[in-house]
Amino acid sequence: MDKPNKSPFAAIKIVECGEGISAAFGAKMLADIGAEVIKIESPEGDVCRQRGPFPGDKPDPEKSGIFVYLNSNKRGVVADLKKPEGQELLGKLLGSADILIHNVAPDQRAAHGLDSAALTAKYPKLIVTSISMFGETGPYSHYKGYELTAANAGGWTNLSPGASPFPDLPPLKCFGSQCDFQGGAHAAFTSMAAWLHRLKTGKGQAIDISEQEVIAAMLEMNLVHYTYAGREASRLGQRLLGPWFIADTADGKIFCLAVEEEQWKRLVELMGNPEWANDELFKDRLSRGANMDALKALMSDWISGWKTQDLYQAAQKARVPFAPINTMKDLYENPHLQERGFFAELDQPGIGKIKLPGMPSRYGATKWELRRPAPRLGQHSEEVFCNELGIAKDRVNAAR
Amino acid sequence: MANLPLDGVRVLDFTWAWAGPFCNLQLAYLGAEVIRVESTLRPCVTRFLPPFADGVAGPNRAGYFNQYNQAKKSILMNLAKPEAIEIATELVKHCDVVTDNFAAGVMDKLGLGYDKLRRVKPDIIQISMSGYGQTGPFKGFVGYGPPASAASGMFFGSGYRGGDPAEIGISYADPNAGVFGAFAIITALAQRALTGEGQYIDQSQFETALALMPEGLLMKELAGREPVRDGNHDFVMSPCECYRAAGEDRWVSIACGTEEEWQSLCKVMGKPELAADARFKTMSLRKQNEVALDEIITVWTSSQDRWDVTKKLQAAGVAAFPSMTAKDLAEDPHLNERGYLVQLEHPEVGKRKHAGVPWKMSGTPCNVRAAAPVRGGDTETVLKSLLGYSSDRVEQLMKTGILA
Repeated sequence: MDKPNKSPFAAIKIVECGEGISAAFGAKMLADIGAEVIKIESPEGDVCRQRGPFPGDKPDPEKSGIFVYLNSNKRGVVADLKKPEGQELLGKLLGSADILIHNVAPDQRAAHGLDSAALTAKYPKLIVTSISMFGETGPYSHYKGYELTAANAGGWTNLSPGASPFPDLPPLKCFGSQCDFQGGAHAAFTSMAAWLHRLKTGKGQAIDISEQEVIAAMLEMNLVHYTYAGREASRLGQRLLGPWFIADTADGKIFCLAVEEEQWKRLVELMGNPEWANDELFKDRLSRGANMDALKALMSDWISGWKTQDLYQAAQKARVPFAPINTMKDLYENPHLQERGFFAELDQPGIGKIKLPGMPSRYGATKWELRRPAPRLGQHSEEVFCNELGIAKDRVNAAR
Repeated sequence: MANLPLDGVRVLDFTWAWAGPFCNLQLAYLGAEVIRVESTLRPCVTRFLPPFADGVAGPNRAGYFNQYNQAKKSILMNLAKPEAIEIATELVKHCDVVTDNFAAGVMDKLGLGYDKLRRVKPDIIQISMSGYGQTGPFKGFVGYGPPASAASGMFFGSGYRGGDPAEIGISYADPNAGVFGAFAIITALAQRALTGEGQYIDQSQFETALALMPEGLLMKELAGREPVRDGNHDFVMSPCECYRAAGEDRWVSIACGTEEEWQSLCKVMGKPELAADARFKTMSLRKQNEVALDEIITVWTSSQDRWDVTKKLQAAGVAAFPSMTAKDLAEDPHLNERGYLVQLEHPEVGKRKHAGVPWKMSGTPCNVRAAAPVRGGDTETVLKSLLGYSSDRVEQLMKTGILA
């Protein structure tokens, strides 16, 4: 059952289109704090409906996990934006919308009626936020890309996993659609900033987000390693400081980190002050980094005597920043997340009640909630186009 | 007067290291006046991490600090002194937002908690970006970026096929927390514009990282199983990998999302018949026979320059792009033409190349307005302009270790 929207942001109308993750995630962040989002899908349905994960691993376009996560809180309509009839429906939506978020590629925009300059000229109050791999201008703006492309183009994979002893293994992408999530998150906060600005000026504008640039802005100190000191960091080599490694416990793995001298001292005490800790090889964090293999070997017996979560608690009690290599099961059972009520429950038709990541930032006043499940394909076409916008049914069907 | 979205917004910024400053950097890019509170007695770690300009260490010479603190101001304040806390509290009256990324409860202990500050400025927006949040059995745990990624399950899901859980190259949970923090603050500013109210935001780095894990979490929740590490491969698309190219440690990524792209790849490789090969003719067959597929593609890429592979494949509509190094990025014609890389004059290190604003806005163009501040460089001007202090008073406060 849909819950009423009592957020002050309920007045913000957002139209979302495109395909996949980035625009959907950006629009989700806004929907979750109360904006009213209408998601336009092509007649074939969003590609995320094919990706899963699915209940029991049985593909079903109405039961795809990633689709449900990204598109709860939204209403869903169908329109083929490559057709003039589809663009007509888009136009009707944009006439009363505040924000458009999409990730249609720059070289496809004209064909979909999504040229940013044309839209902002036609709808001067509209904020048009577009996400693409390389941005809408520049020599690579027509280049095709997926998640892996962005991770490589932005310089991230070159650095990953880090401290790798395997030169024959390639640069490594992080788990999950991270570049797309970041593109979406940037779309969310820049759109909200533009909306805030529009309260003063009454004017919309176009926002161009490049996933390559978003990622290249997040490379820690690695870009400036080159621009300040001519050094090229890569995924190969050694960690500078120690201890810093993943180790085996009795029942899993733990990430061991203690790179401040005070933390190391407390860790040594926790380990029962072993003799070897006094050796020259481990005298400071740089030496410990330089002798990481020996350090890890010497610590491994002690670590492997502990269960992961017990060692985590003991280390943190001693203010040593260890953290478990948590599995998904560990996360759902995590007592801290349970007490904070982090996981939100969604009753998704066809699946039932599921637990999803909930409010990422805990607001004191802004209302974050799941008000409605993810839409079936075209579920709200009639409600939105016919009932609300007064468009004849045959025109809506012609846009499929 | 600059025409920027956050014109007139003033932030008193107690954050340090990466996550907090990254959050405030987005606000600075959007036009907010961000005043970083620093101390020589508790220096920000990034002011003393390499690389240093010309290899010479110094708090104003560190690339890490200078990259993530562009367009901000810096004032000195010794928060161990009650007089400094009083001055900070006075400053809050002139601010819209207060940010910190200390461990849980630190701001309260300092006398700068929300209950206190809201009495000074009722509509203040305050965010604390801690490792684990302000409540719960793990509150107060020591948080850094890499362990947050470990705790979030990101390491468990990352790694080579058949390999162990791996790290992910950068302290990713840090900028991610910064991005979510920026969103939360801007949302709170928007709420304040609508309702007049401020609020306190309790952000946990651990939880912001979990927002990025639905693909793993829902595998457990819906299919009852843990994600399987598979390197660069995708669980649906194939091929999807970084392939060896000619030269020392050179790689090019190739990903095909449709049958059309797969056929184009085969044509460009000079093997059009491969498209109909019984092992590879559908996406799921390609997934099943991915090891053999990757070997065939590697034979083709490994003798070629990564940019040649990229250009040929992109011309045929296939998603290919090199694994960019920092040098590649700094010299990239596309990024330079877009004006993404900036070189602003810094009083101590001169012009250095940094990454700039990763978005373009047509109505309120966001540029990096200034290089990073020298430590404490704005102490006098901020206290004079906001609190009406005289130069003598500021000098006295510096001498007595309050502004230090």
